[in-house]
Order: sequence, then structure tokens, then C-alpha cells
Amino acid sequence: MRELAGKLLRLDRRAIFVLIALATLLPLLHPFGLPIRVSPEVKAVHDHIESLPAGSLFLLSLDFDPASKPELYPMAVALLKHAFKRDLRVIGMTLWVTGTGMAEKVVSGVAKEYGKRRGTDYAFLGYSPGGANVIINMGQDLTATFPTDYYGERTADLQALRGVRSLRQVNYVVSLAAGTPGVESWYVYGKEKYGFELGGGVTAVIAPGLYPFLNTGQINGLIGGLRGAAEYETLIGMKGKGVAGMDAQSATHFVIILLILLCNLFYFISPRTAVPRGSPEEVGR
Amino acid sequence: MAASVFIGGWVAAGLTLFMFSFLYKDNPFFRFGEHLYVGISMGYIIIRIHYDVMIKSLYSPVTQEGKWWLVIPALLGLLVLARFIPKVSWLSRISFAVIVGFGSGVAIPRIISSNILQQVQGTLKPILNAGQRPFGMTQFNALLILAGVITVLIYFFFSIEHKGVIQISARIGIYFLMINFGAGFGYTVMARMSLLIGRFDDLILFASREYAYASLILLILVTLGLVLWERGRRPSS
Repeated sequence: MRELAGKLLRLDRRAIFVLIALATLLPLLHPFGLPIRVSPEVKAVHDHIESLPAGSLFLLSLDFDPASKPELYPMAVALLKHAFKRDLRVIGMTLWVTGTGMAEKVVSGVAKEYGKRRGTDYAFLGYSPGGANVIINMGQDLTATFPTDYYGERTADLQALRGVRSLRQVNYVVSLAAGTPGVESWYVYGKEKYGFELGGGVTAVIAPGLYPFLNTGQINGLIGGLRGAAEYETLIGMKGKGVAGMDAQSATHFVIILLILLCNLFYFISPRTAVPRGSPEEVGR
Repeated sequence: MAASVFIGGWVAAGLTLFMFSFLYKDNPFFRFGEHLYVGISMGYIIIRIHYDVMIKSLYSPVTQEGKWWLVIPALLGLLVLARFIPKVSWLSRISFAVIVGFGSGVAIPRIISSNILQQVQGTLKPILNAGQRPFGMTQFNALLILAGVITVLIYFFFSIEHKGVIQISARIGIYFLMINFGAGFGYTVMARMSLLIGRFDDLILFASREYAYASLILLILVTLGLVLWERGRRPSS
């Protein structure tokens, strides 16, 4: 047994890659439909959008690039579907230059699905340089920050932006962020000063760092990672990429937990050579 | 299906497989994909900056709307490039002074307010509120947060020797930190797996008849390419 454990510990790491690949691929091909429980932080974003009357202004800042697409794109689709279903006026924008094309694609794609007209029911402002400074500028004068939208139309003439002078008139802002500038920039430079309600949707890597801000109410809700996207899709009764990925996510997590447990078990039962105290090998351990 | 979507599917599937080939070992397919990614990203950024910044935010407002004062920040931006010319490199300091001065002025008050004062306020929530149960989860959470903040701060307090009560508190602080790192790592694993799911999801889509089985054909070709590359690397006897 000890010998076997030692051999397994020396197993080629590529065997683990194959295991993870299978754990991901099989549930994607044959989903087994594990239940998805909705967390209060995701429900808070949903409930806030649900509480907004038709015609309210909803600003979705897609602050990510294609590298984070698997996690944040499903969130963007779910939020936009919800907002268009509720007949909110949607403003799309991005603080990430590399995400501009993708952001335009998702906003216009979902709008088309719901028969919404560009410039009338929604506006896509595109990218403006400056990161957090863009938020400050938008708080002063939105049309001066974005004189034209992504398509070159004058923002002052857009029906979707009627009555909007600055961020003070926006009812709800959600930043879907993969880093900085993102959710943190929106509450530091925007929410506190201009008084709009703010929600966040982030990659799982940065989600733990935002929980303190959720706790203090600086953001009213948080959608974290693909799981958060799946929860949001569940809330609006949509079977999107988030829900589809949850079985694979659970399966890979199960495999990783199992591997961690087994590796620890093998480590303790495998024959170990004595290492002198203070030697470089011991320091390395 | 539009030809661009079809070709895009083949390119995406091929490049995904090129990048995944690194899991076997570093190889020319991976390096090709990596260099292509860097090049395309830079090209895309340059084009977008040209249109969104140089044209939309500078050239058009100055030439069409007469906003001549935008030339001043443009000049400050150009001065940054003076760093590349040793004789006049000192000029770049003017731009950096503006950047640092403006950045600090804007950021410091807001960061202090959002990230320090409001967080301290959140830590010092009242344990008992009117109408609340005296021993509920709210009270437990408030106490847990308070204990976590105090013990972690004690751990990072290096002015006194960690002995006795201080040592115990610091040790508890370490446990809080470890839980934090564990949660962070768990979330990171979840994020990386989500990215893998995203790529696999696309590969499954591109393996469909609609895309002429792009993923499957390219998988065979990449595998074949790796085999040939390996054989080519072996020293001849």
C-alpha cells in the first residue's frame, strides 16, 4: 500500500489534466441537473431591478475583456434580458478598451432579441479613456464625457438618454468587472458622490475582496463568478451558459477535492526518506 | 451561417487547441498562439485608442467644435514621450507631476472615505438593535467580524513582542488570515474552472456539423503535429 501511494504521488501531472478535462467535458455533454440555490447577494441585484418602474435608467458597465468572457458574459446576458423584460432604459458602456467590441455585441444582441431600438430604448456609449476619471466626468456631465455613442450618434439627441444630465439621474448601476477599473472604481468615485444604487458582478477571483463592501452596503448585491450567473439565470427562469456550466463546475470541484484528499493521504502513508533537520531539503518542505 | 462566423469558429477552435497543447509541454503551436494573442491584443488596443481617444476625444472636438483647450492635455501627453530623448527627458516630469498631483488629489479623499471610514463603520455595527433577537446570526456575524479585524491587526502590530495575550490574539489573527486565503484560493479555482468550461463549451459548439466538425478535425491535426514535432526533435541514432 505504501509503495502504491508513493507511485501515485509520482504520477505524471498530465493524468490530472485528463481527469479534470473529463470532469468538465462529460457533464457538458450529458448534464445531470444539480439544483442551484440562489444566494441573498445575487437575489438583491435581481430584486432591485425588479423593483424599478418601467422607463427607469439602468446603466450596465461591462468592465471586462474576452479573457473573462466565460464568467461575465452569461451575467451580462441575464442582466440585459431582465432589464429589457422590465422595459428599463438601458445604457451600456465599458471602461476597458479591449472589451469594447464584445460589450457592443452583447448589448445589441440581447436588445435585438427583445425588439428594442437603438437610441430609443437603449444606448451603447462604448469606451472612453481615463478609467475612474470617466466615472467622475459622467457624474458631472454624461453627454460631455460621451459626446457621441459607439456608433457616432450625438448622445444629447438620443431618446434613451432623455432627461439624463449626469449619473445622478441613473437609477441603478451594475458593473460587471474583471478587475480595475471596475466595481471598486464605481463605488469609490461614483456611488458615494452621485448617490445612485450600485450592484456588482465580478469574476470569482475578485469576489471575496468585495464581500466587505457588500457587508457595509456600499454595493447592494454581488454576482460572483459563473455560479452567480447561474443563480441569476435561475431567478429569471432562463437556462443560459451559467446554468449549463454548473454541473461541470460541481464535477471539477469534486475531482479537485478528491485529489487533494487522496494526495494528502498518499503523502502520509507513502515511504519517506529521512531529511536531516536544517538541510536545504527540509527548508524546501 | 455567415462565412465570417464559420471561419471565426475554426480560428477560435484552432487557437484554443494550440493553447491547450501547452498542457502536454511547451511546443511551437502554443508559442504561435501566444505570440499571435500578444500581437492581436496590441493591434486592437492601438486601433481602439486611435478612434476612441485620438479621433473622438481629441481631433474631432478640437477641429470641429473648437475646443482648443484640449490641446493642453494632449501636449502634456506628448511630453511623457520626452523620456526617450535624454537631453529633454526632464520635460516628462511636468506631465508626471500633473498625473501624480491630480491622481492623488482625486483618489486620497475618496479612498479614505470608501475603503477606510466606511469599512470601520461596518466593523463597528451595534450588536443589539431594537426589535432584533438578542442571540441571532446577525450578532454572531458582527462579533466575528470584530474579532477578525482586531486579531489580524494585532498580528500586524510589530512594535511589541508577541507574548502572552498578544501572542494568542496574533495566532487567532493568523487563522482568520488563513481562512481568507483559503476562501480566495477556492474562488480562484472556481474562476479557472469556469474559464475551462467556457472554452470547452465553445469547442463543443465548434465540433458540431454546422461548423464542419472544426474542433474534432483540428484536434486530430494538432495531435498529429505534436507527434511529428516530437519525432523531429529526437536525435538521430
